[in-house]
Amino acid sequence: MTIALFVFYVFALVTTASAVMVIAARNPVHSVLFLILAFVSSAGLFVLLGAEFLAMVLVVVYVGAVAVLFLFVVMMLDIDFVQLREGFLQYLPVGALVGLVLLVELALVFGTQAVETAAVDMPPTAPPGVTNTEALGSLLYTRYFYLFQTAGAILLVAIVGAITLTLRHRPDAKRQDISRQVHRRPSDTLEVRKVRPRSGI
Amino acid sequence: MLGSGFDLSPALPEAFLFVAGLALLAVAAWRERQANGFTLPLVALSFLVAALLLLGRDPTPTLAFDGHFVADGFANFVKVLILLAAAGSLLLAPAWLSDEGVERFEFPLLALFSTLGMAMMVSANSLLALYMALELHSLPLYVLAAFKRDEIRATEAGLKYFVLGALASGLLLYGCSLVYGFTGTLRFDVLASTFAGKGGAVLPLGAIVGLVFVVAGLAFKLAAVPFHMWTPDVYEGAPTPVTAFLTAAPKLAAFALLLRLLFQPFATYVDEWQQVVILVAVASMLLGAFAAIGQSNIKRLMAYSSIGHVGYALVGVAAGTGEGVHAVLVYLGIYLVMSIGTFGCILMMRRQGRYVEAIQDLAGLSRSRPLMALALALFMFSLAGIPPLAGFFGKLYVFLAAIRADLVWLAVVGVLTSVIGAFYYLRIVKIMYFDEPAESFDPLPRPGLGLVVAATAVLVAGFPLLPGPLVESAQAAARSLLGS
Amino acid sequence: MLHVLLVFSPLAGAAIAGLFGRLIGDRASQLVTCGLMALSALCAIIGLRQLGEEPYTVPLFTWMLVDGFAVDWALRVDTLSTVMMFVVSCISFLIHVYSIGYMAHDDSIPRFFAYLSFFTFAMLMLVTSDNLLQLYFGWEGVGVASYLLIGFWYTRPSACAAAIKAFIVNRVGDFGLALGVAATFFIFDSISYDEIFRAAPRFADTQLAIFGASFDTLTLICVLLFVGAIGKSAQLPLHTWLPDAMEGPTPVSALIHAATMVTAGVFLVARFSPLFEYAPEAQALVTAIGASTAFFAATVGLVQNDIKRVIAYSTCSQLGYMFAAAGVGAYAAGIFHLYTHAFFKALLFLGAGSVIHAMSDEQDMRRMGGIWRKLPLTYAAMWIGTLALVGFPGTSGFFSKDAIIEATFAAHAPFAGYAFGLLVLAAVLTAFYSGRLMFLTFHGDPRADAHTMEHVHESPPVMIVPLVLLALGALLAGWVGRDMLDPEGRFWAGAIVTLPDNRVLEEMHHVPTVVKLAPLFALVLGLGLSWLFYVRSPQLPNQLAGRLRPLYRFLLEKWYFDELYDALFVRPALALGRILWRGFDLGVIDRFGPDGVAVATLAAARRAVRLQTGYVYHYAFAMLIGIVALLSWYLFVVRG
Repeated sequence: MTIALFVFYVFALVTTASAVMVIAARNPVHSVLFLILAFVSSAGLFVLLGAEFLAMVLVVVYVGAVAVLFLFVVMMLDIDFVQLREGFLQYLPVGALVGLVLLVELALVFGTQAVETAAVDMPPTAPPGVTNTEALGSLLYTRYFYLFQTAGAILLVAIVGAITLTLRHRPDAKRQDISRQVHRRPSDTLEVRKVRPRSGI
Repeated sequence: MLGSGFDLSPALPEAFLFVAGLALLAVAAWRERQANGFTLPLVALSFLVAALLLLGRDPTPTLAFDGHFVADGFANFVKVLILLAAAGSLLLAPAWLSDEGVERFEFPLLALFSTLGMAMMVSANSLLALYMALELHSLPLYVLAAFKRDEIRATEAGLKYFVLGALASGLLLYGCSLVYGFTGTLRFDVLASTFAGKGGAVLPLGAIVGLVFVVAGLAFKLAAVPFHMWTPDVYEGAPTPVTAFLTAAPKLAAFALLLRLLFQPFATYVDEWQQVVILVAVASMLLGAFAAIGQSNIKRLMAYSSIGHVGYALVGVAAGTGEGVHAVLVYLGIYLVMSIGTFGCILMMRRQGRYVEAIQDLAGLSRSRPLMALALALFMFSLAGIPPLAGFFGKLYVFLAAIRADLVWLAVVGVLTSVIGAFYYLRIVKIMYFDEPAESFDPLPRPGLGLVVAATAVLVAGFPLLPGPLVESAQAAARSLLGS
Repeated sequence: MLHVLLVFSPLAGAAIAGLFGRLIGDRASQLVTCGLMALSALCAIIGLRQLGEEPYTVPLFTWMLVDGFAVDWALRVDTLSTVMMFVVSCISFLIHVYSIGYMAHDDSIPRFFAYLSFFTFAMLMLVTSDNLLQLYFGWEGVGVASYLLIGFWYTRPSACAAAIKAFIVNRVGDFGLALGVAATFFIFDSISYDEIFRAAPRFADTQLAIFGASFDTLTLICVLLFVGAIGKSAQLPLHTWLPDAMEGPTPVSALIHAATMVTAGVFLVARFSPLFEYAPEAQALVTAIGASTAFFAATVGLVQNDIKRVIAYSTCSQLGYMFAAAGVGAYAAGIFHLYTHAFFKALLFLGAGSVIHAMSDEQDMRRMGGIWRKLPLTYAAMWIGTLALVGFPGTSGFFSKDAIIEATFAAHAPFAGYAFGLLVLAAVLTAFYSGRLMFLTFHGDPRADAHTMEHVHESPPVMIVPLVLLALGALLAGWVGRDMLDPEGRFWAGAIVTLPDNRVLEEMHHVPTVVKLAPLFALVLGLGLSWLFYVRSPQLPNQLAGRLRPLYRFLLEKWYFDELYDALFVRPALALGRILWRGFDLGVIDRFGPDGVAVATLAAARRAVRLQTGYVYHYAFAMLIGIVALLSWYLFVVRG
């Protein structure tokens, strides 16, 4: 128990610290790397909760795909980050004030009234003998079917949107057209000519 | 496990829209060339079919999908309005799309998915469904705002809208998590019965703070002050048909969601949220009245005008009574007709093949295009709330509701800001009728635009003669929402 | 369905001719409007079988529903509205047809027919109204149509002036009506006729305190409604607009300013008989005003030279008769006269139009004369109209006008005697000016120039046929409709309410023979005098006018009403306006009001615009500040 608690605090600390660093780091590549660290340590938290599937998904999807994509984009876009940060100090006082007020208020909210644990119906844990993945899947396709479908629709829209905004049909681009290749006849392209010596075609 | 949760029939219109969207997408991707022309009318048609599916449905609340979805009289009424508004504003688009060389099938399809999201927002019965539907409705709008991707104004508008929208979604999600954390349930009906069971005992502070965050997220969608900053830039930068689409249906959906949230789960805590809504309403009315005055671009002006109108509608929400809900629904029903008509007129502002947007371009319109000037003057008078046009009655209902709820001062603020607002509406009329004529506009290429404008003008002018259908069905919808 | 068709087909005609008139052309506009009017008239004739049956309401749809205050569009069908619908539709149809000929040379024919049909629609809405708001809608609708038609030839300054005058004078009356409607709603908490009439007895003899004074409730309401009637029906002192309204085309004068619209006031009083019966003071006022107008207008009619003005004053006078009848409780006699008058007055106007048409648009009787051989049909029609107007035995006017005179004699109401005396005198004057009109116009030596005389011709059939039909109506309408005076009120079937002790309709049959014969004496005397003056010895009028110079001027200047109003209202109002404009408006209000506010508003606007910088992070920042502000507001102000 104590070990689990200790591990929890380690992961929680690392997650929070690296999240802060994502914003604070001067070099954007470092930011992305800290982001990856945050993902990995939150995956650790999921493992502690007994949600291995989510932990794996987090690592595979977020670390493996999203964050690496970010990294590529950040490296490929040659942005002068120093210039972008120029206004930072100018807004710092107001921003700090706003943040502080918000923090105080939220502290007030959470400090005065604790979460009514009795009222909270705890997230359903998987019944014994059912794996984590299976439990999640059976929930997604039954109770949360509607939301799952909606998420699908949102992703579809995202794909359509991305294509709409970026795809350009370039007439000069060469594409493979298998049908044309298959239907190609030698007679279309080849002409057999008899060439007499010394007279040219 | 496959119980009543999989009964699709309450969500039949949504299911129809979804399937229609997928089918059209498949066909359009296959036959891209031809699809650019025929998709838009088909999408408009499917809106009308979905609206027909809604007519005459049982108004008793029916839950579906494990309680995430609810179909009731309120949802039916609002959905019909949304579908009609979406169809109307979509029908404004074809001429513009072909003139600007962006006649692509993605435009109507994105509008379709956005409208589907709106319908789902109206029927959302849990915090999760609320969020998912909201995203489904916003994401296509971001893309549509940047639809004319080669124009810097449009891409800027789309990007701004997207970034700020993401921020608003963050606020909303944070609020949802607070409400869930402090009450332990996602579903609105369970929340309502829990609250009612407590008999008005003090709500956990966290839940109300969460509600404030959720309201803020919705206020962004409504473009209410102080979450309105995106509106002028996006309205001006986005393609005009998209702006027309933005003003009408999404406002209605966000309002419906707000009403459901405030009047179903949080109905017992009117006193808690009333002040917040009043603050937003007053700020919106003031900003809408003042900031529009200095504008020279008519789309930008309409953006501020819409902020002001959202403020007036929020007055009805702030009343916190069934009468207030009724007033809001009537107000929005009238507003969407006016705004579609106005944008129809703006889309007629075409000179030598190019669209113009400056208010001064309207100078002397009464002489070159008397009918268009008459229609636009009607819309302006109605937006200003001058009797006996429809806009006046919208304001009348809202202010009456506020007065009945002992918020006389709020109604007074509303009337004063309407007077200030009338200034810029009337200025347009003055420019059209009394200024020296500018060069005249091109003739209309297709009749569709003219038909929509004529129909909306007739509705605006004829409302006082036959207000029954809207007023009465809005009343039934309000009753259905409040469960009385 | 029948009545819906009846009321709305003129509207359809107006819409088609008004919106697409230029598209479909003159001929088609005429055909469409006339065809739809014919349909409406046909429905009205079929609707007559409803007479004497139980009243009922045809609901159309809900107009508004504000917090329990429900107003429906509905058509009320009872005997009163059936009679009115019959009169309005049939006469309007005949005048539509007549206008085809009369307006043949005009260049905005579709507009004319659209207005005419719109007027008919508004008038039908008025008479079939089921509640006060719909009545007001129709009332203002006919007012607008009348304004548009008086100013139809809007290039003539005199027509515009007359249209504006009619509109403004009517505004005074309409203000009274609006107050009456408001007062009714205030008292009865309803504007539906049924509920008002049902509740009326309860409010008899109650008092209403306004501004410290206390009034009898029903009297107040009735007087206010009657003020509206005075304006619309051109009674003293709001009569000045009607003669000027003759600037409009003659068919308009016939339809609106003689046969239908001006009778709306009489209709209003009859419709509200359940209220007037409980308000004797208001009835006395109605009698007094009606009788005075009848006499006054007849005296002015004696000396007018414009043929249409003579008939206009005659209309004014005859409306006075109707009000006098309604005032003494003989509503039925008033409506009966309304119905007969519609026929013969439309006939006279259309006949006059035919003469004017023939005389190349000459309207001054002093430049007519000696044309009866050239216009035999018009001449005959005009004589029939004149005889009906003066109440020649057997014609329609005989039945209705005599009934009114007898009723005023038989009634015991205040002012009844006064009314009787004035009405008999007015009958003499009526006979005189009618005779004068006929003799001056048709007899004697031609006074027009030779060129005009050459062109005098009978009008085309399309104008003559309506004249013939109206002449038939003027002859027979009285005999056909004499049931209306049934003392038991069987004919009206409750559409007109009289109290049990109101026995005027019965008692008027028992008046002395002298009284019965009085109108006949008046007729003979008046016509005889006019024959003496204008046929026998035509120099007499001038001598008399010279001898009685001041009286002649007084009558010619219409008792100086216009001058009086000019001095009393128009000039002071202009002066006051100028003072307020120069001193108060520019000096005080503008400086501190609009101008000052405008400057402040603009400053605020500029500041509001400056918030909009265009930077995304500013916007995001504003949102965050916004949420913090909302939270703080809630945490520290609401929760406190």
